[in-house]
Amino acid sequence: MTPARPRLNAGWLLVLPLLALVVALFLGPIVNILWLSVTDPEPGLGNYAALFTSDSLGKILWTTLRICVICTVISVILGYSIAYAMVHAAESDRKRMLSLLLVSFWISVLVRTFSWLMLLGRNGLVNNGLEAIGVISQPIAFMRNELGVLIGMVHYMVPYAVLPILASMQAMDGRVVSASRSLGATGAQTFWRVYLPLTRPGVVAAALLVFIINLGFYVVPAVLGGGKVLMVAEYISVQVLITLRWGTAAMLAALLLFGVLALLFLMSRFMKLSTVFGGART
Amino acid sequence: MHDKQFLRETLLEGAQAFQAGRMQRRTFLALCGMAGFASANVLAGRAEAAAGEIVMWNWGGQSEQCHTSAIGNAFTAETGMPLKFDTSGPLQGKIKEMVDSGNVTADVCDADLFDAVALGKTGHLEPIDYTVVDKTKTIDGYALEHGISIILYGYAFMYDTEAYPDGAPTSWADFFDTAKFPGTRSLYKWANGSLEAALMADGVAKDALYPIDMDRALAKIKAIKADTIYWGAGSEAQQMIVNGEVSMGMIWQNRGRSIEMETNGRYKMVMNQALAMPGAYIVPKGNPGGPAVMKFIATAQSVPAQLDLFACLGMTPTNPEAIAALAEADQPYSITSAANMPGIALNDPTWWGENTDMAVNAFLEAIS
Repeated sequence: MTPARPRLNAGWLLVLPLLALVVALFLGPIVNILWLSVTDPEPGLGNYAALFTSDSLGKILWTTLRICVICTVISVILGYSIAYAMVHAAESDRKRMLSLLLVSFWISVLVRTFSWLMLLGRNGLVNNGLEAIGVISQPIAFMRNELGVLIGMVHYMVPYAVLPILASMQAMDGRVVSASRSLGATGAQTFWRVYLPLTRPGVVAAALLVFIINLGFYVVPAVLGGGKVLMVAEYISVQVLITLRWGTAAMLAALLLFGVLALLFLMSRFMKLSTVFGGART
Repeated sequence: MHDKQFLRETLLEGAQAFQAGRMQRRTFLALCGMAGFASANVLAGRAEAAAGEIVMWNWGGQSEQCHTSAIGNAFTAETGMPLKFDTSGPLQGKIKEMVDSGNVTADVCDADLFDAVALGKTGHLEPIDYTVVDKTKTIDGYALEHGISIILYGYAFMYDTEAYPDGAPTSWADFFDTAKFPGTRSLYKWANGSLEAALMADGVAKDALYPIDMDRALAKIKAIKADTIYWGAGSEAQQMIVNGEVSMGMIWQNRGRSIEMETNGRYKMVMNQALAMPGAYIVPKGNPGGPAVMKFIATAQSVPAQLDLFACLGMTPTNPEAIAALAEADQPYSITSAANMPGIALNDPTWWGENTDMAVNAFLEAIS
């Protein structure tokens, strides 16, 4: 029977190296970035002021936001449908669906990006096929534009959307649906008024997760956008590596960081975050 | 922040040793703990150990093998110092970060001459020692205080011969003429070369490109924006051409040479009005190998090294003696050959060194 206090201390000692590593390797660089954003090229808030005066920064942020929102909406709707199908499939089918989902989850983003080019590119399988059977005379421009970026991003994000939604659907007590039906609600009514509200934490979690990951997309827009779709992650990289405007890059990075934190804070006002990320238990 | 890389390496090695059973758990944990504060002390020793070799920072791929055979072997034979590589690509931002952090691990960077101007001005580079390196063994004007051009690469364009059976494009004016030569084109995403091409297409003489008239160049770029896609890496440029995504594409001339050879001339490169870019060797401030690196740069200027770099990488020599020694069959692919030279525009590293940030950002805004 050891008293509680020393045990707690011993625990902290074990955690200490990790804590030190986190501080040194994670918080340190973040503070450095924040510091850069107000000191480079000169001390002050000039980098942040540029947000309101520079048209090109506004354009980049708007492009990023627009694509992220569209991608999130599509991914969550697709993810919801897939999760719904999985929950209602037979056990063996569900396992097969899950492994298919996870396989695509594990394939590198580079491989997927270039596969899309081969499939939907100007001389890709789809365009060549359609031309061969005479459906189209000119190749359809699926890739190297905003549509291409959306296709690539949605494809990457769907598994991220499915998993939280699936978790919340599985955690739901299926009997409430039967109860709703037995009380005379139609199928549609049951879905909109019982099923959807009960799986809302999963939907919110999926949307948050997808949106936040979307904000940092780099490879997909850079390759599938054909240079015309400039999102904030690629812009930051250019400012760091090529133009050496580290202050601008740090400001945008800080903006992303605080944007994500603000989003999480906003959500926490409406629901417990632990609920969102820990499944559907309330 | 200078301990990042070292920490990562130490912990990785430690973790591997622990996994393989070569290190006890306790030792490994202690290592993790110490890594938090001990790295600064270890670093000093590490830099000392690094002296006695030259580390070249290049772009990987074939270049590691080519730089060894063309320069490294001769240099090692003469000085006894081995040549090692960091193949992560010495972009300006990375060189700046390395020097600022105080943990310089590279001796010579395979970079651009405009990097020498930009980073020289901010004090991130060692000056070239012209008592060892020979100013006359390069193109006129390409031996600067903080860097010297060793090879030339270039921006040319290629077209698909099947797309234009009756009459091939021969100049940037044709490249920008979507009425006469319909089809998608590709340009370089980071402005370099694309701006000069646009100006030449708009009628600016090749000797009057600098200072670049940004408005004029961007107007021309925007005029064909709907028919243009943009590449960021050489491999991407190559794919766009050989996969038929574009009918005409801007390309690095050494890559164009290999595409033309591999496809037996299906895709043809137009060397007229190509922009010659001085690839330069620059030395980060406080390089671990010290002054010995100047000897390495001098070795790279020698005729055999220059000819080898051409044979291996397709990079055009800058040493006039090496240019004269090129075989007849290689002349068309050498930017500075007698046949090509009259049509070639020479890049101005000083303008780019001073204006890269403005030019790249304005270009990105125009194309996105």
